[in-house]
Amino acid sequence: MKNFWYLFSAYTIIWTALWAYVVYLSQANRALKQDIEALRAQLDNAIAANDASKKGSV
Amino acid sequence: MAGGEKKRHPLSLWPGWYATLTYVAMVAALWCIFVYAPTEKAQGIVQRIFYFHVSSAMTMFVAFFVVFVASIIYLWKHADWWDQTAMSAAELGVLFCTLVLITGPIWGRPIWGVWWTWDPTLTLTLVLWLIYVAYLMLRADATDPRRARFAAVLGIVGFIDVPLIRWSIEKWRNLHPEPVVVQSGGTTGLPPAMMLTFLVSLAAFLLLFVFLLRQRMAVARRRHELEVLRHKVDEALFG
Repeated sequence: MKNFWYLFSAYTIIWTALWAYVVYLSQANRALKQDIEALRAQLDNAIAANDASKKGSV
Repeated sequence: MAGGEKKRHPLSLWPGWYATLTYVAMVAALWCIFVYAPTEKAQGIVQRIFYFHVSSAMTMFVAFFVVFVASIIYLWKHADWWDQTAMSAAELGVLFCTLVLITGPIWGRPIWGVWWTWDPTLTLTLVLWLIYVAYLMLRADATDPRRARFAAVLGIVGFIDVPLIRWSIEKWRNLHPEPVVVQSGGTTGLPPAMMLTFLVSLAAFLLLFVFLLRQRMAVARRRHELEVLRHKVDEALFG
């Protein structure tokens, strides 16, 4: 099997790169989803606090 | 809906079946490459790199074509969706271009005797990679619309390199092999089994490209949503 290692290296690099990219995308998606949920909760709290302070001042 | 049962829209199942289809196509491509396709007599087993090398190159061209079209529409309509499409396709184009630039020399070392040569096709491909890496660096700050416009111009101008690469393979006397899949006159230089293997590999790569593009665009959309939410939170907290 002459030049087997060249063939092996080429396909290993391709699959490693593609796999790493898929993992990066899924982790980025998950982290962003959590950040968005946390910010939404923070926004709801801030709006509720604003409303409460407006009612208090009236 | 009776009993509170929610009916799922057929499109919501898209990622699942599409990922399965891509996976099956990839397995079929690998089976064709390592089991079905005959070993080329002159180059030996190292010729099997060709199937993923050329498929990566064609997928890269498709990705940069998407950048080209989406950038034109973004400059025309100023809609964020087109900017996100162009940026996502550019990142994928750079990924596939990197695979081309890595697998090419791995094939070239046993066949040409050198890892790299400053042959026009290889040099133009490296230039293409550098152009779109510059695009991604320019586009790194997602909040600045001025940078998005400059990046769109670079995405359009950079695409000029793509037909040059194709032209260099056909017309310039260089070390890179002449086209074998489609030759001048519409004929092919590949035997039927090799041609089928190549087509299955290309289909698998194009399916993977669409799958990754969709995932990457979801990341871009969420980043944008996060920026908008941060702005709203700042306004709510500090007026």
